[in-house]
Amino acid sequence: MAPLDGTVLVEASNLARHFAVPRSLADALAGRRPMVRAVDGVSLRLAPRETAAIVGESGCGKTTTARLLLRLLEPSAGSITFRGQDIAQLDREGMRGFRRQAQLVFQNPFDALNPRLTIRDSLVEPLRNMRIPRAEWDDRVALAMRRVRLGAAEGYLPRFPHELSGGQLQRVVLARALILEPSFLVADEPVSMLDVSVRAGILNLMREARETLGVAALYISHDLALVRYVCDRTLVMYLGRIVEEGPTEEVVRHPRHPYTRALVRAVPLPRVDQPRDPLPIKGNVPDARTPPSGCRFRDRCPVAVPRCAEEDPPLRPVGDGVLAACHLA
Amino acid sequence: MEPLLDIRDLTVSYRTPQGPVRAVDAASFAVPRGEVVGLVGESGCGKTTVARAVMGVVPRSAEILGGPVLFEGRDLIRLSERERRALRWREMAFIPQTAMSALDPVYRVGRQIEEVLVERGGRSRTVARARAAELFGLVGIDARRLDDYPHQFSGGMKQRASIAIALALEPKLVLADEPVTALDVIVQRQVLDVLKALQARMHLSVVLVTHDISVVAYACDRVVVMYAGRVVETGRVAEVLERPRHPYTMGLTNAFPDLESAAGELVPIEGSPPSLLDPPRGCRFAPRCPFAQPRCTASEPPLLTDGEDHAAACWRAEEAPALRIQAAEAATWRR
Repeated sequence: MAPLDGTVLVEASNLARHFAVPRSLADALAGRRPMVRAVDGVSLRLAPRETAAIVGESGCGKTTTARLLLRLLEPSAGSITFRGQDIAQLDREGMRGFRRQAQLVFQNPFDALNPRLTIRDSLVEPLRNMRIPRAEWDDRVALAMRRVRLGAAEGYLPRFPHELSGGQLQRVVLARALILEPSFLVADEPVSMLDVSVRAGILNLMREARETLGVAALYISHDLALVRYVCDRTLVMYLGRIVEEGPTEEVVRHPRHPYTRALVRAVPLPRVDQPRDPLPIKGNVPDARTPPSGCRFRDRCPVAVPRCAEEDPPLRPVGDGVLAACHLA
Repeated sequence: MEPLLDIRDLTVSYRTPQGPVRAVDAASFAVPRGEVVGLVGESGCGKTTVARAVMGVVPRSAEILGGPVLFEGRDLIRLSERERRALRWREMAFIPQTAMSALDPVYRVGRQIEEVLVERGGRSRTVARARAAELFGLVGIDARRLDDYPHQFSGGMKQRASIAIALALEPKLVLADEPVTALDVIVQRQVLDVLKALQARMHLSVVLVTHDISVVAYACDRVVVMYAGRVVETGRVAEVLERPRHPYTMGLTNAFPDLESAAGELVPIEGSPPSLLDPPRGCRFAPRCPFAQPRCTASEPPLLTDGEDHAAACWRAEEAPALRIQAAEAATWRR
């Protein structure tokens, strides 16, 4: 899992985030405080310029992980370093630097921009916050718009968000995320709200941003097919844990963890002759308050053995650069 | 054989402050008995409006022009509200995108199924109760959960419950509007499998509204591709996906990532769909089409079949085999 040249941009060690959930009367009487371990011991590394994805179903903890990495949420345990510095220890000035380097691309472009601000004002906002000299604003805004192929000539800058299409808005959102030339971008389902025909355009722009700005990106997505087009490395989460991690093509073509196998098989293909046999997975995602003992996937796993109930499988190398948390992998 | 549903020249116009918008403009297609028809397109293409017009639940601001929409030979557009109500649930049923719109949060789920059976189907309470349990079994939910409230169900279970309600009175036609879009991929597959199995078993006709051509490929027999209010291509799924005759369909298959093909480049269709307030003259896809010629912007191509069961609304449909080769090249779509 170590990036090829050994340098690390972002590193999370044993990250955990627990949320208290509403207590039932029975919980209260028994003095229990039920907790959901939304993220439960996640370690990951991202190299400069690297593009990785966290995939998983809703509730697996992928969005919480992303928020922790950006310090939009404090971890219950574990630590995050950015360029070797613990981000929990940053002072005000250090935090400002981190905010400049680490940017978020939101899922819903219709919500991401202030509807009362013109496109230009939305783009200027981060420049003002970071105290970029006013003299540089116009050039930076123009450059940011060029990066996302919204030519200045078309006159987008004086317009308001409601005057733009979803695809155009997401380009503006991306322009804003890139305007400070960050080194780390987190994109939470960046195209899931967009129409199919314009998604590819946004994804291609994000690829370009890596080439031209050298920005590393972490995609949060439920869509393996999409991740395949943009990410070098894929991490699969299930119930707060990373269960498999490796080069995207390996993970997609030869999934080692039984959960990844089910996930890959569940994705429909755009052709008529495709497998339609039942998925190799049982039941539903268990209640996150009471995950099974041992391996958290075992009660849905088609190949579980007694050992899986007793021993929590660690994430370990299983060949071809892949790590899997399965006794049988 | 006469199709179950035959939509001919359906036009639906919305009144908006900026003027009338033809969300659906002279759309025609048929739904054969016992088949699943995928209605596919981007947001605003009119696919949901078609489904709503068939169900008779268009908003007040909408006006249905044109038609007929023939259901077993009867024109749905000309039915009185009373006649429509008699058809709903018994003859045709609706599965919405989110079960929130199908299930009432304050009533137990089982009760809601029974309600349809009693109120719409004239069944007795006892029969309805037993049938509700049976329906839960069919969609793969434990009958012990009949007394649960919707909020106690997961997203997948809610959508299964919506299917159970839709199928309660064994309708002939089910209209499903993006029934799995809001679900996780594993649950999505499971819900599609339940729907498919019941469809085959009950010999249902289904109109599956979706933006996802992979869902169409997985679950549908036929497909209707819509663009900017128009039907641009129809045919059997294998035929349309493997040998698309309309450039928009060709572009869609390029733009959509999948788990199989070489992980090369995704090719977007540049631009965005036109405003329906002021649609372009001629073919509505022409402004984005790499193969557009002067005649494409001069007049609108009609939806014509190739003599088989495959229709496309493109002046250059005859050249489709050559265009498909060009369409597969990323450079073709670059501006």
